[in-house]
Amino acid sequence: MTAGDALLLLPAALPALLAPASFLPRTARGALRLCSLGTAATAALMGAASIAVFTGGTLSTAGGWLRLDALSAFHVAVMALVFAMSAAQVPGAFAEGTADALPRAAARRFGGLWFGSLAAMLTVLISGNLGILWVGVEATTLLTAFLICVRANPGSLEAMWKYLIVCSVGVALAFTGTLLVAASAARAPLRGAGTLLWTGLAASAGSLDPGLLRAGFVFLVIGYGTKAGLAPMHSWLPDAHSQAPAPVSAVFSGFLLNCALYCIFRMLPIVEAATGGSGWGSGILVALGLASLVTSAVFIVLQKDLKRLLAYSSLEHMGIITLGVGLGGAGAFAAMLHTLAHSIAKPTAFLSAGRLVAGFGSHEIRHVRGALAASPVWGAGLLVSLLALLGAAPFAMFATELMILRTAVGAGSTAVAAVFLAAALTAFVGALRLVIPMAWGPAGETVGPLGASAADRVQVLLALLALLALGLFLPAFLAGILSRAAAVIAGGTP
Amino acid sequence: MNAPMEALLVALILSDLALLGSGRLGSCIRTVALQGILAGLLPLAEGGAGFQILLLGATVVVLKGFVFPRLLGRAMRESATSREVQPLVGYAPSLLAGVAILAGAFWLDGRMGGLLRSSGGILVPVAFSMMFTGLFLVVARRTAVNQVIGYLVLENGIYAFSLAAAREIPFLVELGVLMDLFVAVFVMGIAIQRINLEFDHIDSGRLTRLRG
Repeated sequence: MTAGDALLLLPAALPALLAPASFLPRTARGALRLCSLGTAATAALMGAASIAVFTGGTLSTAGGWLRLDALSAFHVAVMALVFAMSAAQVPGAFAEGTADALPRAAARRFGGLWFGSLAAMLTVLISGNLGILWVGVEATTLLTAFLICVRANPGSLEAMWKYLIVCSVGVALAFTGTLLVAASAARAPLRGAGTLLWTGLAASAGSLDPGLLRAGFVFLVIGYGTKAGLAPMHSWLPDAHSQAPAPVSAVFSGFLLNCALYCIFRMLPIVEAATGGSGWGSGILVALGLASLVTSAVFIVLQKDLKRLLAYSSLEHMGIITLGVGLGGAGAFAAMLHTLAHSIAKPTAFLSAGRLVAGFGSHEIRHVRGALAASPVWGAGLLVSLLALLGAAPFAMFATELMILRTAVGAGSTAVAAVFLAAALTAFVGALRLVIPMAWGPAGETVGPLGASAADRVQVLLALLALLALGLFLPAFLAGILSRAAAVIAGGTP
Repeated sequence: MNAPMEALLVALILSDLALLGSGRLGSCIRTVALQGILAGLLPLAEGGAGFQILLLGATVVVLKGFVFPRLLGRAMRESATSREVQPLVGYAPSLLAGVAILAGAFWLDGRMGGLLRSSGGILVPVAFSMMFTGLFLVVARRTAVNQVIGYLVLENGIYAFSLAAAREIPFLVELGVLMDLFVAVFVMGIAIQRINLEFDHIDSGRLTRLRG
């Protein structure tokens, strides 16, 4: 085994080992601490693999079945960030003495499922084979389902069942898409195991059957789009995100959705190459992105529940990322930067909201009042990350949304730009109306502790500074990483 | 397309219609078990299958014919629900929908004409009709067990489709897919038990607290 193989295999192997090990600790506290420390160690390995790709080039082993190129390495780095941020808050979110305290058996099961989903999501990213990629996505659905109802109550069970059935059916349709893609390669010079390697499919894109490939892409977009929560397949998303405990919502919103989008972005260059660069596949993504944006804007304006507000904001941002990739060029670059910024802001928002909801004893926006006065750390965490998510200047997402808008106008798609602008402005005004009374004013009645440890302060401060810094200035190495990831979607070789 | 193959495919269509027309969970579970066995036998009937495909067919028969019905039967008994409660679409309209789905599947196959190698036989349209029937059952039934049955019919359809569309799916991938399916049914069984503990019934139609 070479050093490259080890870099590729270790990040997935460690959580696969930690999953059964989660059942060993003698106390609930021990199990939760193992969860946060083990995730930090895995994130470090993932970071190392990602750095290796950006300094040394694509890693590949096992005959191309395992592969990490610029696009997947970028997603691995984002995933490491989201998991490390969320896991750091696991012991705090379920601490003894709070309303959310977990008994030992539940804490151990939580750890096992947490590491299991971590390993499954990594499998999706490091797989070079569309079939194994599908197996990883389905495994992610099954492993994360019970994370939603760590504490069983009617609401969380309802959300879990909806998520399980809607996503299983959706992902089954994605398998039909995978079969159609394999069928389209019948006349291509691909043999046996090579049929579903996307490197092979991309290399022989010219000899794929365009009709079957188009049908396959439609199924893949519907299937993985369901998992990514794109409208109109998003019915499970607001329930699961609002009912899950905060660290789980943070992972769902910060990376689970992006992981499903990644599967679609993987296929896009192959489809575009096989259909002669007609923009057919990109057009589908633009339409779905706009549908998600409009849907989310309507529900954000009408929202009464804090965690559902954040869930619909995720729908909005998945729409923006999909739209950016669909527009291509500078839009794809902006979509990658948007992915990074969203995956920093949304976990921070969910983790802060989780603490505030526990402190005020209610999910309802009208019960969360004067958060800044009640808890400077969590109040500022929620306020600033929400402002960033709304696309307020000078945060990163203002810059990326502007870039996507300019791409749309530059490409002559005035209608697309108009719909995008209208939806984003509606969401901005609608959400701001809700955010201001939550943040400022005299503190409302609290029923629980709202304290923050030194580590919590550092985590929130770092996240907020990162959002600000990304908006003001983009370091050259980061710009290089983003443009290499965007180049993979555009069909170039990194 | 040989005679045993056609007999199997006709039996698969009949099992679809039986599922659409019945609300008794016990008989639905038995029907979907039979459908799983029939689907697992398809590669045998086609003839000329290699060792790996036979092994895969045998695994499908064992899982879908014997393991899943047991898991579902246990979920049904523990929830003390033996009938579908007020389905969103009645049984007679469901049967009519089944016929419409069948006609639609043949029409779609005609439209797709020449795209798939095995066109000419009825394997592809039957696979389509099973997939649509599964989707219909998931939407039209409200009992959680029946929704899982709908999911299994969808899976059976996709399995039949994979025989027509892509014989070259690597063995490892097929194994992974089967493992996921097994875990899916297992997880859904546990989910039904937990819902049942909390709600005293498994009518997912009443899971309607979360809106907006």
